[in-house]
Amino acid sequence: MKKILLYSLIVLFLACAVNVNTFAAQAVSGQTEITQTAEHSVPPVYMIAPFVLLLAMIATGPLFYPHFWEKHYSKIAILLGAAVVIYYMGVMKDFKILKHTLSEYLSFIALLGSLFVASGGILIRVNKKATPLVNSLMLFTGAVIANIIGTTGASMLLIRPFMNLNRGRLKPYHIIFFIFLVSNIGGVLTPIGDPPLFLGFLRGIDFFWFFKHGWYIWLPTVFLVLSIFFVLDMRNKERNEKEEFTGKIEFKGIKNLGFLLIILISVFLDPAVMSWVPGLSPLPIGVREIIMFIVMFASYKYADKQILETNEFTFGPIKEVAYLFVGIFATMIPALQLIAYEAASLKDAVTPGLLYWSSGGLSSILDNAPTFLNFLSAEMGRFALDVNNKMDVYNLTNAHPVYLQAISIACVFFGANTYIGNGPNFMVKSIAESSGLKMPSFFGYIVKYSLPALIPVFFIIWLIFFRG
Amino acid sequence: MKTINEVLKEKKEGLYYGNRVLLPFRADILKAIIEKDIITDFSTTHKGAQYSVADNYTEIYFHDYKDLSDYISKYETIKLVVVEKGNDIFDLNNHRRLILHLKENHNLKIEEADGGILFIE
Repeated sequence: MKKILLYSLIVLFLACAVNVNTFAAQAVSGQTEITQTAEHSVPPVYMIAPFVLLLAMIATGPLFYPHFWEKHYSKIAILLGAAVVIYYMGVMKDFKILKHTLSEYLSFIALLGSLFVASGGILIRVNKKATPLVNSLMLFTGAVIANIIGTTGASMLLIRPFMNLNRGRLKPYHIIFFIFLVSNIGGVLTPIGDPPLFLGFLRGIDFFWFFKHGWYIWLPTVFLVLSIFFVLDMRNKERNEKEEFTGKIEFKGIKNLGFLLIILISVFLDPAVMSWVPGLSPLPIGVREIIMFIVMFASYKYADKQILETNEFTFGPIKEVAYLFVGIFATMIPALQLIAYEAASLKDAVTPGLLYWSSGGLSSILDNAPTFLNFLSAEMGRFALDVNNKMDVYNLTNAHPVYLQAISIACVFFGANTYIGNGPNFMVKSIAESSGLKMPSFFGYIVKYSLPALIPVFFIIWLIFFRG
Repeated sequence: MKTINEVLKEKKEGLYYGNRVLLPFRADILKAIIEKDIITDFSTTHKGAQYSVADNYTEIYFHDYKDLSDYISKYETIKLVVVEKGNDIFDLNNHRRLILHLKENHNLKIEEADGGILFIE
């Protein structure tokens, strides 16, 4: 059933891909009026209802009605997405934005999926005694690697070695600080780091912009959170299960490391970045996405089966992301348009501090990717710029960097505040639980860890960089 | 009736049907981990899991999973902490950590956790 629904939604999107070209042809023949009207019209407010409903269910489903949610989330996401797609096709006749959204979704899922599958075929074992220093070094390494293979890839790659390292003394705080640093905060320096930044990159933000404007915030934040972890870990007097250590770091799955490298190189294979790369229009994907999908297939097919078994590899988490995000991408179209439209009237009321706390607050409980785009859209609307126009986005990054900096930092950092703030959070929690470690509840996580450890750090960041 | 050691040594397999698991030895179950569910309460007959020890096997019903094969994919496992029937349950050295792989034709491969797959008791 859910497969039929998914295929139907993709067919609807593809129909738009074809129709948008018809519109282009009409424009050439002088019928530009319809297209222009469609591009600049704004949907009614009630069209954000599917988006709000979907995000609310994503936040509450796994907690309050897990079995219903597990069984039906894919159908719900697809149906809500289809409602918006049909509205845009039938009522607004805006095919261009649907095609744009489909391309963005495919790019997003190609990157996330390929990183997820390729890193699932790699096995790392650290045969060292777990000490606060060794643990901190590993978390710092994870925070750096998150910028190269994404927070999802780094979490998948390192959570098991980190848990293995601490066998016999593993506590929930180990997992939670891993979520803080590797699954979230670490990945703020590149578009590969975290999905919202990749969406920003797809919309026209320079690849190295995030590093240039983020490293001096990233470094003290990582240091502060690591310091808190170090103190907590110092108080853990339990010992490793075994007494003897070789000191070696074992690495298996070199083929998949090669696949990861291909994915990273292919990120830059965009006609907008490298002029020699051919565009494949009217197809909704480019060379980059085709390479990523091939890598995803190959890295699973040729992965060492023993490693997949040891990692207990399953497509479950990435399937969940694929289904949910097809709904999120479709339903957030009207929200993005409306926010941009309304934000134009807010003018100076929007400050970097306001953006920091509001985008951060929402990223804590909603997925940070749509939150990032909504706030980027709002900020651009204020300057009468269009989030769907790459040149406009590029101009914003140069003319008003502090606003984008506030949104980027907050969306990535605050995703660590709850289990549902970022995709890898739940994956890491699931891996810990499927290994037998009882993790804190949704509210236990917030009260025991986020509020005392993260919020003070985020407050300091605001005080130094975004106040006013 | 075989002991856990004999089952592991002979690589004797268990069975599963729907949500029911049959282990070819007699044991008390202390903890079961399936997907992300950590089950330690075996007292109820309608929620979580329930087990009983027959003359020559142990059976577990996972009430929240209609068909185990729908939930446990190719590389995933079910994990159990068990104590062989007759052994001192309070001696931690008697606690065995077992990993179950669902195979074709209702077969269930049983292995002892050797440090490869993460398993925290």
